[in-house]
Amino acid sequence: MKPNKQEPENDEPLRALLRKWVVHPTLPPRFQEQVWQRIERTNVRPKAALWPALARLADALLPRPKLAVGYATVLLAVGVAAGSWAAQIHSSRLDAALGLRYVQSLDPYKAAVLNQ
Amino acid sequence: MKKSAIILLLGLLACTAAFAGFYYFGTAGCRGLMREPQPELAWLKKEFHLNDAEFARISQLHQAYLPQCRERCRLIQRQDEKLHQLIAQAKTVTPEIQMLLAERAKMRADCEAEMLKHFLAVSRTMPPEEGRRYLDWVENQTSLRGQAMEQRHRTAEEHHM
Repeated sequence: MKPNKQEPENDEPLRALLRKWVVHPTLPPRFQEQVWQRIERTNVRPKAALWPALARLADALLPRPKLAVGYATVLLAVGVAAGSWAAQIHSSRLDAALGLRYVQSLDPYKAAVLNQ
Repeated sequence: MKKSAIILLLGLLACTAAFAGFYYFGTAGCRGLMREPQPELAWLKKEFHLNDAEFARISQLHQAYLPQCRERCRLIQRQDEKLHQLIAQAKTVTPEIQMLLAERAKMRADCEAEMLKHFLAVSRTMPPEEGRRYLDWVENQTSLRGQAMEQRHRTAEEHHM
């Protein structure tokens, strides 16, 4: 059998031919748009991963009894504080409104000003 | 996952229940006041710590004062309407307008005197400390203080500074 190998000194014409060869690549249609879409998708990915990360964190922390009690206590305290605060605001407003009503019932000039 | 979701949910439920409970019990007094036949008098009783006897006496004074007050309101309104008509027709201050202005001023003075008499009678019915606090409060809240005029002057002074 004749060997399929060529000697290195005989490659010179091939090398010259390769040097002359110029490739004109053409981009696929909507190449640029697709690149931007891929960039956008890459940017969005970390935000989407926030919830699974939080869920993993909750899974890791909440089943621990001390942390679960702490979490419930904090939320309970927040509820108590917010409820008391809202009730206080409501009561103060009503107190002011009833005081004004009392004054209006006795003072014709206040009633007249407020009725205008 | 399921266990932590249940704990999360229970925490939120506890928070909501605490909020609702404290709001409900914190506003119970207000709801009670609004259910009274005269909430403004019920408020007076609460605000100035009146006992039942004092409250009954003050309610009587209040009821006795209201018809006179309504009558004065009617007269004030009539005078205002008449003055409005006269001003609409006049080019100068006529003797009739001048007389009406004097009547209005007298009406205001009479009205303030009657109000003050009522407030003093009410304050005498209260415990002394509460009575003084009541007088201070009504003086600040009613037209006895002449607030509108004072505020106008104060604003003008600030403007000139």
